[in-house]
Amino acid sequence: MRLVASRVGRLLFVVVVVSFFAFLLLDSAPGDPAVALAGLNASDEVVAQVRADLGLDEPFLQRYLTWLGNAVTGDFGDSYRTLGVSASSLIRKAIPNTLELMFLAQIMALMISVPTAIAAARRPGGLLDRLSSSIAFAFLALPTFVLGIYLSYLLAVRLGWLPTVATDLPSLTSDPLGNLEQMFLPSLTLALGLVAVYLRLLRNDLVATLQEDYVLLAQARGVPDRRILWRHALRPSSLNLLTAIGLNTGALIGGTLIIEILFAIPGMGRLMVTGVFGEDYSVVLGAALVFTVGYVVVNFVVDLAYYLLDPRIRHA
Amino acid sequence: MLPRPAVHGSTGAHPGTSHKGVSAVRNRARTLGAVLAGCVLIASACGGGSDSSSETDGSDTSNTEAPVGTDATDGGTDADGDTDDGEADAPVVTQLTSDDEGIDESELAPQAGGEVIYGIPTDGTGFSTTGAIPSGSLRIAVALNDSLVAVNADGDWVPNLAESLTPNDDFTAWTITLRPGVEFHDGAPVDAAAVAANLSAVKASPTTGFTLAAMNEATATGELEVTVTMNTPWAAFPFILIGQTGFMVSPDTIGTNETFVGTGPFVLESWAPGDTARVVRNDNYWRSDEGYPYLDAITFKVIPEVEARSQALAAGDIDGFSNPSDSLILDALDSDDADVYITEATSNEALVILNTTAAPTDDLRIRTAMAHALDRQLIIDTFRSGLTTPANSFISPDSPWYADTDYPAFDLEAATALVDEYEAEVGPAEVTFKVSNSTGSVQVVETIASLWNAVGIDTTVEEIAEGTEVTPVISDDFQAIYWFQFGGADPDAEYVFFHSSGGPINWSNLVDPDIDAGFDRGRASNDQVERAAGYAQVQEALASQLPMLWIDHLGGVEAVIVSPELRGVADGTLPEGDQSLTTGGYFSWEDVWIG
Repeated sequence: MRLVASRVGRLLFVVVVVSFFAFLLLDSAPGDPAVALAGLNASDEVVAQVRADLGLDEPFLQRYLTWLGNAVTGDFGDSYRTLGVSASSLIRKAIPNTLELMFLAQIMALMISVPTAIAAARRPGGLLDRLSSSIAFAFLALPTFVLGIYLSYLLAVRLGWLPTVATDLPSLTSDPLGNLEQMFLPSLTLALGLVAVYLRLLRNDLVATLQEDYVLLAQARGVPDRRILWRHALRPSSLNLLTAIGLNTGALIGGTLIIEILFAIPGMGRLMVTGVFGEDYSVVLGAALVFTVGYVVVNFVVDLAYYLLDPRIRHA
Repeated sequence: MLPRPAVHGSTGAHPGTSHKGVSAVRNRARTLGAVLAGCVLIASACGGGSDSSSETDGSDTSNTEAPVGTDATDGGTDADGDTDDGEADAPVVTQLTSDDEGIDESELAPQAGGEVIYGIPTDGTGFSTTGAIPSGSLRIAVALNDSLVAVNADGDWVPNLAESLTPNDDFTAWTITLRPGVEFHDGAPVDAAAVAANLSAVKASPTTGFTLAAMNEATATGELEVTVTMNTPWAAFPFILIGQTGFMVSPDTIGTNETFVGTGPFVLESWAPGDTARVVRNDNYWRSDEGYPYLDAITFKVIPEVEARSQALAAGDIDGFSNPSDSLILDALDSDDADVYITEATSNEALVILNTTAAPTDDLRIRTAMAHALDRQLIIDTFRSGLTTPANSFISPDSPWYADTDYPAFDLEAATALVDEYEAEVGPAEVTFKVSNSTGSVQVVETIASLWNAVGIDTTVEEIAEGTEVTPVISDDFQAIYWFQFGGADPDAEYVFFHSSGGPINWSNLVDPDIDAGFDRGRASNDQVERAAGYAQVQEALASQLPMLWIDHLGGVEAVIVSPELRGVADGTLPEGDQSLTTGGYFSWEDVWIG
């Protein structure tokens, strides 16, 4: 429990620091939301009134603390860009789609990379090992948007198996099949970039683990290879993979910015990009905070997973 | 010429004229060359001043006759009693059509029903008629809305939601008569009180008030009669009611941004900002006895990436999309699987606004040097695939309001000499050139900057957030900025952007008596010759003072690409039968059907 409390404290500190600098960065960005909101022909008095209404005339620290206090309750203020709509409502609608996209991408990446890594580790340097490694690195080398356009052209335009864009994305609960049909292609695009990393990490760790004495002992005792690989070698070889999953969550957040735009998914990445280009600071700040919290929570979960998976850490 | 002001209702259809208003390419298996050649032919036939020498193969120009003098004013009498003998041409709209592989769409019977998914790059920021409705939201709003006045294929105004508009003798008051029995989507009546409330709200808004700066007040003077009084004669007043100023929304929702309770053929069912807007058939539409609208529903889907929009159409996931790139236009023109509709009339211009009150662009020598160094044809060839035409005014050469001027030609030597002269007298010429941070725009601006640098103007490109371009201009925090605007159906629509009374909306800050006088002549008179003279005066002053540097008329690239099954895109028909003029990305959804 002390470990958990300590980690939670550290994570909260990270969230506060990141949110502070995000607020500072946007505060010092060029442009004046009050001028934009007041209207083309607004008098100075009207602009001043709008600025006061938004609280923009208050000192920086006071504005930050006010914003943080509201943000903790889920209130990110009104969108500067889409008047009459709250930033929180936009973020609430976007979060599930991005979470699902990231989750599906991780699942797909693991579903491809784990069996392939195990198969490759059985015969290091063999045909499957070399082939899988080459293909995976080819996917890694391709920029996500190029890969997305190519997959979309191949699987959607040419073969007609999947939709090119999420034209009318139903929720996962109301129409799971419809949802997955539209999310498959973007998730796959995102996943293929991860496969090379996961594949090489796991394959190398598995090869090393398979040299351990206890594995040789198991082989001498006649335990089948399949059982050795899945039951005895995979678990201790997964720690680096877990680290990579945690770290790649950050990379996935960056990936969603591109994928959501390319496949027209109404998610956090697209919301943030639109917010940045449209100087919708309330939305950008809210999205940045959500991303930060998400990132540190995932890494916190990874830390806990270490604890559960590795007895050496648990008993240290 | 203008429609006869006192006409009750519409100016009526024009027998013998077919679909001249919509600038459309319905081109299948056809080369661009033939299309452009057709364009030139029509422009020439219409007396437009096209300087292109391209020849047509004569294969696809189904409407090559010159648009006739427009409507009821031909040979008629103006409100002021002057006989209108048609001495000047009617506004000309260039039209591109093809034979659609032998299908004459106008003879096909529209079929009711069906839903359409239409891809758009952005849905903008909302629908408040007292705010600045951005183009993204306008693409949706046109399905929800009928403006009081529309513009027909000949470029003239005709009553639309309004039944008639009648001026007094000196155009200082207009009476708007409304159609009986029309309701907003929420069931509220479209009566005089509602219209007066809408116009008053637009006038009162800091954002939209400038459009009605010449209006004193709008008053309900009867159940269906609104009297609008002006502080100056305003003969072209109806033209301002074509666009956002003429959008009428239910009085209870005026100023509401997240919804649009209008009178149009479709009702806004849902809007998820940044993603989709779904509109459904308005069963209570005031033109439902004409069968409108044909579609049951339209989903406007935001697909930011143009390649993704194109692939979605190719895969059949959507039925059409707006804002194609010029390369996609070229591809679609050669494709059997897509139809292209290109706006020629009322297209925007690409230009550079110069701040005439900030050094060094406050010096005419520098502005002239910048104009000389701006190679318009290079921009067109490099960034528009040759689809657009060079501009030297905010008015297209096809328009009767266009006037030849001595706008500076591309001449690097002349530009260098002017810069040398300026620097010898004043000092280094350093310019910051602002541009929105979209890739296409930045590339154009960097090319122009390299040309200016080549003649000695030290030019730095500064990118600013897309959609925020207006902020530095109204706050005078700029020297040069890349811009898209204009293309109004009538030059009076651009009054405030040039006239000294425009204040911060007078983008360049130039105060020039000839520009003011010319625009005032055009605004106050209903006589076409007098108006043309006024706008010629404006154009000559703009060409000599150079507050704005013109690049190209964007007609060739403001287009939509749709599935061949989507029909009626170019068939907008106004209440009294006139063909409506539609513009790139915005078309009359009530006429669209699937077949």
